Amino acid sequence: MLDALGMLGAGFGHAFQGGVVLHAFWATLVGIIIGALPGLTATMGVALLTTLTFSMAHSTAILVLICVYVGAIYGGSRSAILLNIPGTPASAASTLDGFPLARQGLAGRAMGISTTGSWMGTLFGALCLAVLAPAVGEFALGFQSYEMFWVAMFGIVIAGSLSGGDPLKGYIAGFLGLFVATVGQEANHAYPRFAFGSTDLAGGLGLLPVLVGVFGVAEVLNSMRGPAVQAVASKIDSILPRPSDVLRYWRTIFRSGAIGTFIGAMPGLGEDIAAWTSYAAAKRGSAEREKFGKGSVEGLMAAETGESACVPGAIIPVLTLAVPGSAPAAVLMAAMMIHGLNPGPMLAISSPEFIYQIVAMLIIADMVKLFYGLVLVRPLLWVLLIPRERLMPVVFVLCTVGAFAITSRLFDIWVMLGAGLVGFVLRELRFPMAPLVLGIVLGDLLDKNLLRGLVLSDGDITPFFTRPISAVLATATLLTLLLSIPAVQAGWGRGRAALRGRLRRAG
Amino acid sequence: MSEADTAASPLAGEREPVSPRADLITAAVLLAFGLGVVALSLRMPTFVEQSGTGLTAPGIVPGFHGTVIALLSILLGLRAARRGGLRAGGMKAGGAGKDLGRLLTAAVLGVIYAAVLVGRLPFWLATALFVFAFTAIFEWPRGPQGRIRRLLEAAAIALGTGWAVVLIFEDLFFVRLP
Repeated sequence: MLDALGMLGAGFGHAFQGGVVLHAFWATLVGIIIGALPGLTATMGVALLTTLTFSMAHSTAILVLICVYVGAIYGGSRSAILLNIPGTPASAASTLDGFPLARQGLAGRAMGISTTGSWMGTLFGALCLAVLAPAVGEFALGFQSYEMFWVAMFGIVIAGSLSGGDPLKGYIAGFLGLFVATVGQEANHAYPRFAFGSTDLAGGLGLLPVLVGVFGVAEVLNSMRGPAVQAVASKIDSILPRPSDVLRYWRTIFRSGAIGTFIGAMPGLGEDIAAWTSYAAAKRGSAEREKFGKGSVEGLMAAETGESACVPGAIIPVLTLAVPGSAPAAVLMAAMMIHGLNPGPMLAISSPEFIYQIVAMLIIADMVKLFYGLVLVRPLLWVLLIPRERLMPVVFVLCTVGAFAITSRLFDIWVMLGAGLVGFVLRELRFPMAPLVLGIVLGDLLDKNLLRGLVLSDGDITPFFTRPISAVLATATLLTLLLSIPAVQAGWGRGRAALRGRLRRAG
Repeated sequence: MSEADTAASPLAGEREPVSPRADLITAAVLLAFGLGVVALSLRMPTFVEQSGTGLTAPGIVPGFHGTVIALLSILLGLRAARRGGLRAGGMKAGGAGKDLGRLLTAAVLGVIYAAVLVGRLPFWLATALFVFAFTAIFEWPRGPQGRIRRLLEAAAIALGTGWAVVLIFEDLFFVRLP
């Protein structure tokens, strides 16, 4: 315990050294603006800003990206409240009560609730990260290739099941992502897979160009297609958070914080599901259920706390298993790798202090976010009024720079364009993007561990199912798959109802 | 069911589902893709002489992914057929003409910029031309009133973007530009 506190203190000391913390101010602001603008997501923001961090020291770079991530998830609530359009998918649940509050002339109060909920959510999640990550990391040290294969597979399956409305399309998206990761030279024999004689393709499809394409280019196309949106609330009442809201809804805050962190820690689910789940749980447990959807303070607080607690939650599996908990966390993980940090089980051994540095960075980002939440109300309103015709070409330029910068290959710009167009079509066909991203990120992990496991067991696949943790993960994966089949779901529901009826009769 | 229970995740795209016919066509394309991946994976060398067992063959993992994609696309196709994808007229009309026009314009401008201009012109100039063309074309339908001012503003934004990107990325953060 004292060790942990000492390392957390050292983490803060590290962040404050040499003015590194000053980067938190501009990065969080950029994050909030990106989040607030409909069409720009947290994933896109982290991917684009990764380019800017190439020449920075790794701790500064990660601080910048964490600030962008934290800021963007919070910023999305501004457009949710004022425009009824979530700035990021994570803020979709905030529109349900945020916009009705704004229409009642309480936009300022809604933003105050959003700031309070988001601030406490990230703080709660960061503390959970500090407590849980070392323990999970230590546990994960026992994982071998068999377990790591199942971790990757479980991530794809659970993200496919839950991140969209249609599990079948989720699984297909996940496996398309896994396929993308196989393009290029493989690790064992340096054989160029699917290269067709091209040296560029033999080098593989870069993670960042693909992500910038899928989230940046596809988003630009999507934004330009629909009708333009207009801000509706221009008069803002007091934005100061009310302590009475916190005291009255402390149970909701804790519940949403726990749900958000837990969902964040599940591979690939992300902030939007955390917000929806927290909102649904708050509605079920609320004494003012009828107010939900009509401007409920509790509903908005739950959604905001849940989505913001998800951010640190999503970093827990990044640091302990090298498996991202959300799409922005996937890009953050890629950025960590670019900067020579190797997230995963060995981190708890090789540099345990890094986990606490991340906690310190999250808390710093959270504090800066609180500061901007209180002082940046009117300027953000102006930002929301920038017409998309003037914003989107600039975003496209940033995507191009982001795709090119990592290896200085024009080929990567082509990859970005291709990924953007394919991503847009898949999105139009209602394929969810989170499993696709997770597949691309986890492809290498799955590839190496499947082959390594097969070599270790001399071609015998039984260790994949008989080792205790493997067996648990395999069962969880299989159950998730089965429960996504409508017929099995219906049978499960009937079975549960019958069992409940029998228990009631017996009681 | 609560609103939260019924609402689909925004990551899934818009909430209106696609037509069964579109799903059927998608399934056919994905099936062809999956089978193509399997065929290419089978043609990859197995490196048995190096590994002794062939368990490190490069085709194993992509072959597995291709097989799963093909199987899942068959399920998608069967589901679409059951939902009426084989019936004539099962395809809904696509997006409104205006939407499609805007989408195609944005896509064509993006491709011209990224695939043609970048690398051939100085980056600031390519960027300025793209931003100006994009803004001017999309703002043109607003009508003749104030058009000159809008075009001048577009030119200012375009030149400003070209200058700022070079300044911020190349000079401030030492990032190489195309």
